[in-house]
Amino acid sequence: MKRLIPLLITAIGGFVLIVSFFIPAWQEAGELVAVWFDVLASIAFILGGGNLLAVHLKKISDRAAGWGYSAVTLLAFGLTLWIGLFKVGTFPAPQTEYYGESFASLPVEALPEFSVAGTIPARGDGKPLPPSVRATNPPQLTAREGRLHFRGWITSAQTSDLLGYDETLAWRSRIEELSELAQPPAALRGKVRYHPQFGMLGFRGVMSDDDRQALEELFAGRPAGLAAVAALWTAAHRETRLERAAPPPSFQIPPEAAGVVQIERGALVVRGPMSEELREQLAVEWVHPPRVRPLPPEERAARRRKLEALGAPLTPEQAEALTIEFDTIWTPELLIQALNTAGLAPVENKTYRELLAERAAGVQPLVATKPPGENVRLNAAQEAAVRRFAHDVTMTPAQLAGELQQAGPFLPAQAEALQAFLREQPTEAELYTRIAFHLLKLHRANPAIPRPTSEQLRFLLAGTRELAAWRRQVDDLFRHSHVVKFPWSGDYGAPGSPFDWTFRYVFQPVTATMFAMLAFYVASAAFRAFRAKNVEAVLLLGTAFVILLMQTFVGVWLTRGFPPWLAFLQADELKRLITMIFVTAGSRAIMIGIALGVVATSLKILLGVDRSYLGSGDE
Amino acid sequence: MYERLAQLDRRWIFLAMALAIGVPVLLQVKFPEVPGSQARAVFHEIEQLQPGDRVLLAWDFDPATEAELAPMATAFARHCCERKAKLYFITLLPVGPQMIEKTIDKVIRADFPDMVYGEDYVNLGFKSGNEAVIKVIVTNLRGLYTTDFRGTNLDVIPMCQPVESIQQMKLIVNVSGSYPGTKEWVQYAVTPYHSRLRMVAGCTGVQTPEMYPYVPNQLRGLLGAIKGASEYETLVADRYLGPKPDPKYLEARRRMGPQLVAHLLMVGLIIAGNVLFFLQRRAPRG
Repeated sequence: MKRLIPLLITAIGGFVLIVSFFIPAWQEAGELVAVWFDVLASIAFILGGGNLLAVHLKKISDRAAGWGYSAVTLLAFGLTLWIGLFKVGTFPAPQTEYYGESFASLPVEALPEFSVAGTIPARGDGKPLPPSVRATNPPQLTAREGRLHFRGWITSAQTSDLLGYDETLAWRSRIEELSELAQPPAALRGKVRYHPQFGMLGFRGVMSDDDRQALEELFAGRPAGLAAVAALWTAAHRETRLERAAPPPSFQIPPEAAGVVQIERGALVVRGPMSEELREQLAVEWVHPPRVRPLPPEERAARRRKLEALGAPLTPEQAEALTIEFDTIWTPELLIQALNTAGLAPVENKTYRELLAERAAGVQPLVATKPPGENVRLNAAQEAAVRRFAHDVTMTPAQLAGELQQAGPFLPAQAEALQAFLREQPTEAELYTRIAFHLLKLHRANPAIPRPTSEQLRFLLAGTRELAAWRRQVDDLFRHSHVVKFPWSGDYGAPGSPFDWTFRYVFQPVTATMFAMLAFYVASAAFRAFRAKNVEAVLLLGTAFVILLMQTFVGVWLTRGFPPWLAFLQADELKRLITMIFVTAGSRAIMIGIALGVVATSLKILLGVDRSYLGSGDE
Repeated sequence: MYERLAQLDRRWIFLAMALAIGVPVLLQVKFPEVPGSQARAVFHEIEQLQPGDRVLLAWDFDPATEAELAPMATAFARHCCERKAKLYFITLLPVGPQMIEKTIDKVIRADFPDMVYGEDYVNLGFKSGNEAVIKVIVTNLRGLYTTDFRGTNLDVIPMCQPVESIQQMKLIVNVSGSYPGTKEWVQYAVTPYHSRLRMVAGCTGVQTPEMYPYVPNQLRGLLGAIKGASEYETLVADRYLGPKPDPKYLEARRRMGPQLVAHLLMVGLIIAGNVLFFLQRRAPRG
């Protein structure tokens, strides 16, 4: 049995692979065998590691010659294994950390259940429900007594997966109804959610008393749920302090965020976990850095004069660089275009229930979209307001929005587009930084163009330096306010990790050195052993000369003067002749020979004639 | 005297080789490059790609062969980016993912910051199993690859969603330093699906002769060693990189200087060794 089972596995696997190669209907079986082969190949790594340990430990134990090298090998092996397997020094994967959210363990059974009438249709291909609704035990979606039951709150991803499960209108209508029903109470929407893949209840931001009360009402009579709410309350009120905070002078915390962020005796205090949005608000938005606005010619000239006052007059190339950077600033026409685009009436889809009702009423053909509304374009007065805003730095975005609303129809989508447009524009500091780097790049490309003076660079980079210093403090606060949820989720080889360091600074140079040393040994061998002792050796020598020379410019240089009738001796042609005729012929002969040998050997193995791969010893 | 020369301490030869390589490196000696037929074939094949075409970039090399193969990997990636292809990186070697990340850092993140991970390029990483991996993914990508290198499910990566198998690739570009490599891609991917798959490759000098039998049917073009890389670099630089290309795209050409001197030294050593050999044979014994 010890030899029979491996023999059968080999024979069956081998024959299935051969048959699947020639018969397309067997393709899936071939894939299955190949996947199993890959699984076994992975296990071979473990066996290889074990073998390495056994061999070298024995060598050390016996104090055999070179046992010290074995010790170093084992040490390196152990160290690499340790930092790789245990992900020493790696950061958790950002996509599973859910920054700004507190987690508490909660079994799916403790969640409320929602149900609608309906059953789960069977698919023609036999595929089960999507994994996203089967991740828990018991699964979140079940069908009982003619109704669909969903435990917990359905996410948009789960809705999308379920809609894709079956294309019938009846099924999609039921899922649509279920996804509207299976939601947290209105007061908690956007704050609380369940992560079925982790079995965790998540709460976003700081939990207010009202939130807590709403959650406790939701989980009334469910001890596990109440315990989770209590844990979330504690986590969501954890304070993190940044001592000696030095925000820029323009930094201002908006009143609505006072419950989350405060400045107390020189320290910046954040309550609860900090989200990435809050980090950006602290680092940029609440600093209110001035955003660039279109510069009239006189303003451009003034800025150029200011720069020149800190150094020499700009060269034509530098002046052109300045113009290029100024030209990247937005224009009023771009903003008008963005607002008009946002004013286009959106195409709204009908719900599946509406479509189902239309079909029941005999409407033919069914149209999936609603008739579009009217487009809203800016009128002349509104366009004038935009143009005034572009050149009047004293006018704030809020004032512009107010004027646009007064001057004509202005949709909420347009107001959002206005905010988004202005938020995407670079700050004055970023514009100056781009200018600094452009001038430095000019100097690097052409040293004849003078480098910006240190005063000029200090002036151009001052704003960015101030913001960067504040961002570093905010990043520190962000790091300390976050409680790591899955410490092992990070990539073991992420840049900066110990594994990456070992790879870059130990493994890579050592292996490259080993390979590079070949050049020295080959040179020595060429001098001592490459002798023209017989005709075959002479042919080999001649070919070696040709190949060595043709692989360099020398070959081209030596043969470029050949007349046309000797063109076949020119470097490229000669190399082509040797490789495509002599080398190819020789290689093909060897390959065909090997292939025949492989066929014979494989058949012997698959038929059990050759059992040497099973190891020595009789059954 | 011949005896003494024949018994020359090999450390002198090592020193000569070190100088032959080191001096041209320090002096940055460069020579003109004339692209050969294979480099032109590879260039032409990639040049045919249209924006949005899928390209599988199989980086089957490790740090040992990086010095020889990384320049062509860089040039391949740059050329594919210029053609606005969608890049699917993959490797059959355990240390291959690091080689892929290096290429991505050097080319895509540095010079094509607009390219978005998951939409324009993706790193599928390493799977163990050598040629068996190719055998599976040539008909069923998800049979082995359910996530990318970062652990993200392929079904949520936009550019991976429509890909069922690598037969949907317009071109396979393989850079191969050892086993598994070009030979396995030819045998298990290109040969069985010859009508659908096209492939170009770059190999080490040692591997190249073994690959010539596959040119031009299974392999549309083949770059051999640093010489092939240098010729291909020249074509890419002339077409896309302007009069002053970034030096990182001319790494192979930079390495051709030391290679020329080293090869001349080798030729000289072989001649010297044989001259000594014949003089020794002629010299009266005793």
